[in-house]
Amino acid sequence: MKQTINIRQCGIILIMCIFANKLLLMPSLLYTNVKADGIFVTAILFLIELAIIPLIFLLKKHFPKQSLYEILKSRTGVIFTKLIYMLLLIFFLFKIILVFSITYVYFKQQIYKDEIIWIALISILPVINHSVANGIRPLARTMEIFFALVLIGFLACLGFSLFTNIELPHMFLSDIQSFFGAMYKHLFSFGDMIFLFLILDKIEIKEGEEKKVYHYAILGFILIIMLYFLYYGKYQVTSFMHNNALADILVFSVQFNAIGRLDIIAMITILFITIFQLEIFSYGFSDCFLHIFPKLNNIYSIIVFDITFLILYYFFLGKYEIMINLTSTWLTVLAVIINVIFPLILFVIYLVKRSKNEETD
Amino acid sequence: MSDFNIRKEIEKVKEELNSCIDFAYRYYKKNGQEVGLIFLKSIIDQTLLSSAIYYPLQTFQNEFTIDNLKTSIIKCADVKDIEKKDIIKEILDGKVIILTNFSLQILSVDLYKFPTRTPSEPPTSPVIQGPREGFVEDLQTNITLLRRRLKSPNMILEVVRVGSQTQTKICISYIKGIANDKVIKEIKNKLKNIKTDGIVDSYMILSFLEDKPNSLFKQIGNQEKPDVVVAKMLEGRVALIVDNSPIVLTIPFVFIEDLQNSNDYYTNHHYSSLVRVIRLLGLLIAIIAPGFYLSMQIYHYNILPLNFLVTIANTTQGLPFTPFLEILFIFLLFQILYEVSLRLPSYLGLATSIVGALILGDTGVKAGLISPPGVIIVALSKIALYTIPEEASQITVLQLVFLFLGGSLGIIGITCGAIYIINYLNSIDSFGTPYLAPYGPKISSDLKDGLFTEPIQKMKNRPKSFSPKNKERV
Repeated sequence: MKQTINIRQCGIILIMCIFANKLLLMPSLLYTNVKADGIFVTAILFLIELAIIPLIFLLKKHFPKQSLYEILKSRTGVIFTKLIYMLLLIFFLFKIILVFSITYVYFKQQIYKDEIIWIALISILPVINHSVANGIRPLARTMEIFFALVLIGFLACLGFSLFTNIELPHMFLSDIQSFFGAMYKHLFSFGDMIFLFLILDKIEIKEGEEKKVYHYAILGFILIIMLYFLYYGKYQVTSFMHNNALADILVFSVQFNAIGRLDIIAMITILFITIFQLEIFSYGFSDCFLHIFPKLNNIYSIIVFDITFLILYYFFLGKYEIMINLTSTWLTVLAVIINVIFPLILFVIYLVKRSKNEETD
Repeated sequence: MSDFNIRKEIEKVKEELNSCIDFAYRYYKKNGQEVGLIFLKSIIDQTLLSSAIYYPLQTFQNEFTIDNLKTSIIKCADVKDIEKKDIIKEILDGKVIILTNFSLQILSVDLYKFPTRTPSEPPTSPVIQGPREGFVEDLQTNITLLRRRLKSPNMILEVVRVGSQTQTKICISYIKGIANDKVIKEIKNKLKNIKTDGIVDSYMILSFLEDKPNSLFKQIGNQEKPDVVVAKMLEGRVALIVDNSPIVLTIPFVFIEDLQNSNDYYTNHHYSSLVRVIRLLGLLIAIIAPGFYLSMQIYHYNILPLNFLVTIANTTQGLPFTPFLEILFIFLLFQILYEVSLRLPSYLGLATSIVGALILGDTGVKAGLISPPGVIIVALSKIALYTIPEEASQITVLQLVFLFLGGSLGIIGITCGAIYIINYLNSIDSFGTPYLAPYGPKISSDLKDGLFTEPIQKMKNRPKSFSPKNKERV
């Protein structure tokens, strides 16, 4: 039986996708490029990404109950579809490595103060494998249950950060070239909503419920912009030095320390968000794998994922600097294909279908 | 006159029952008319046998006919015709079989009587307010307890027999027009497919009914109180009453049920909500506290407030065990004491508590083997376990799992463990009902009886989680 998710669960997945990779290192990386204008880079890239949501609804309306694979196959042929899925598979794999690398640095520096790669791998890999094996519905329900906790944790981090001196960040300091350069350079860190295309046929939408998804998207956007604003406002010119934004906005607060060291709030919030993101991307990887190799089952996709991930991470991309460098060079090309060209192809498919429908009418 | 040879038939039955010591028969002959009675004296009411069958047979003056026997001679309400092949089954059910040489009809008279308990308050479900009656081991009594509370012609009671040797009666009880047909059908199918020689308690059929029988978590509810079972049937659930068991199973089951208690519905709903939140907190403390304490002590001591950190550092200084072994040692000590106290006679229980809690605990701390914070954390976790006594066994296993996760992997291990378990629970469906409903998925209308409760008059609809046929409570 096909597993389906409701619109609320879809919205929560969307928020996790919006958070992906933007809570820890991203603000400081953007600051290096465009100073506090990183807020605008994020806002513009988010708005571009947001265009995916109406496209999803249009596709669902015109191709009811059809999966992305079926839509692409019927319009572009098997070879092109498998090629797209192969690119999506690579996209999700590197997303996982990126999220893991950045979070691992946070674990190592802030929590364990030691090299803990095996602890992280032993803890996280079985959880994401188990989640992939169970399917999208338990994954969405789990996020639904923990969503309130994540949201409270996030808001608490933002709220406690207000106990320190926060000034208005100095904005509009970057030139137009570096501004768009930064947008291009960090394109790979956006576009996570693409995941929703993969579960197109699994989302159950009742009439009039579409707006709920926009509510979740706007909530996610506001939280991210608030985080960047508070982060740049707090650290000003030293913003490039602090690699763990959500955790770092909490420190140096007198009132905060008086309550006790409540770093645990940021720690747990980041952990939950990270694991959910890894689960989402890992599910995306598995879904692509199963469409490329339809004769294989979930177990194979999990084994292939684990082996590929471990080899790539352990031998090639273990240092997050290498991964960051890769995301702003080679992976940007992939990001352009997946984040821009791929939705455009789907938009064209939709237009063709619509014109055919109109002709039939 | 028929050619029925009563004596021969009695001998045959006796042989089939392997001449068991409680096998008994009586034989009457009058004017060439013969009447034979067969029964097992251990499971019938012998006083009633004398007054309702023996005496009328002896004193009846006219000619016996089968109609006479049925209508005027036998002074019992439950007299029925049976087929020859059912004789053994009926005898084993506590019936008296009546054979005659003047008719081929065989009569079965229900004189079943077992030694049974009177319904009393179940030891594991005491209440401050509300009914105190609990189920007993007798199926008939249990049905009576339900019937007394549910005077509806739509209450259906269907009996199936399970177990090739025990032939245990299982009564499927539900309210027609409310319970979901799919669930009823699935239950009947599963019961039909049970292949075993015996069922001696309702717990024994759980693994045959559950979708994930190897799971740590129960997927079928168990209740000891008739008022609770009736309330659940009114929500659209199906009850399984197993003969010889005081535990009635309810299907489907959702996890939130363990946080609910019948007492919640008989007190103020604000207080009920508070109590449910406390139960949930108790559950979380019970599962996570020892592992979390360990992870803080081993990996994340910088997060602890300074005063608390100093206290821990002072008290753990010089301990021969590592923090992990220390907590594990205290945990095992508590578990051993618990097991001992369960099985010891009550007069020894107090002595064990004194030896365990006072002597072992206090001396252990004074001897520098264990630290006071360690004892407090494990004790707190063990006490919190009993905010939800129904889940005590599962929680104990989870305590140990989280102890290992916290001790070996720190906070990452605990978070991953929590996500893993919730994801696993979300993959369970109890007869089509999501296990973590109404929170995963969120079903807004069912939240009225979730962690926070609302007054009964506001619960106008039956829970959607169970897909009842009739959704409105009218």
